[in-house]
Amino acid sequence: MDLLSMRESYQRERVMLCFNGPISRSLIEEIGKALRNYLDTQQAAPAAAMDVFAAYIEMTQNIRHYARRQGYGDDQASATVAVAQDSEGRYQVSAGNLVETPDGQRLVATIEALAGLDKTELKAAYKRQLRQPRDEASPSGAGLGLLDIARKSSQPMRASLQPLSETQSFFSLTATI
Amino acid sequence: MPAMTMIPDLDISGSQSTPIIRSDWAAGRLTMQGDSYPENSYDLFDQVIAWVQGFLTQESRPLRLELGLVYLNTSSVKAMMDIFDLLEEAHEQGRQVSVTWHYDPRNERIAELAEEFKEDCSYPFVITPAKVVP
Repeated sequence: MDLLSMRESYQRERVMLCFNGPISRSLIEEIGKALRNYLDTQQAAPAAAMDVFAAYIEMTQNIRHYARRQGYGDDQASATVAVAQDSEGRYQVSAGNLVETPDGQRLVATIEALAGLDKTELKAAYKRQLRQPRDEASPSGAGLGLLDIARKSSQPMRASLQPLSETQSFFSLTATI
Repeated sequence: MPAMTMIPDLDISGSQSTPIIRSDWAAGRLTMQGDSYPENSYDLFDQVIAWVQGFLTQESRPLRLELGLVYLNTSSVKAMMDIFDLLEEAHEQGRQVSVTWHYDPRNERIAELAEEFKEDCSYPFVITPAKVVP
């Protein structure tokens, strides 16, 4: 394994923390704790640190909820997560996972639609979504997490979809806090 | 003597992702403190919602919520909104209910979150900075 090239790529992309593999509930908590500690040592402002943490939590919990709904096994229910800083020092939270291609296309369309909303419109959409009846099938409320991340972002979220097979694709999402 | 089916008080110790939750039926008080980001918040909050509903139905005394919640994931925000809606309903029927939310003034996000809940409540909802230990 070429650790040196991995290291160089992390340094080039200013990756503070990354993870790839099956993600359990306790792993989300442990990585989250490491992320918070790291932000703390970086002396990030408490509000910014909380926004980064929130984006990380909503993204990874969305991935877990989706994998559960799809009945994916451990190998398919894995996530690729990275937290980095861009050249201007802004935090970037990214997460990717395997999805059924039509689901991924819907997600990309949702995120592109959110990019056109200003902060006031995002807040109104968030409150509207919050008032949707509690859906037992998707306990986190589909879309609420994405709206929350969009509200905490300093620029529109970026999403992409890369085909992996006839029916499945790799969905990835980046939020800049 | 009225028939009473008192709901047992809650005494839930917190964890990394769940808040400390305590209720005091006799005092008419519910307290919640800490972070809340469980995957499915209703696994945790259903019992809190049941306690609040029970108290509001079986008692006529005031109910007071003392909160020191910090970070809430969207699933927890939804559950908290359900609790605040119960208080709003009771308030509209003339019940005395109130919320006090203590926040760390170093983190404005907590006060902003509390403010958004407050927008939909017409009962006393106080958002107050907690004393910071340097």
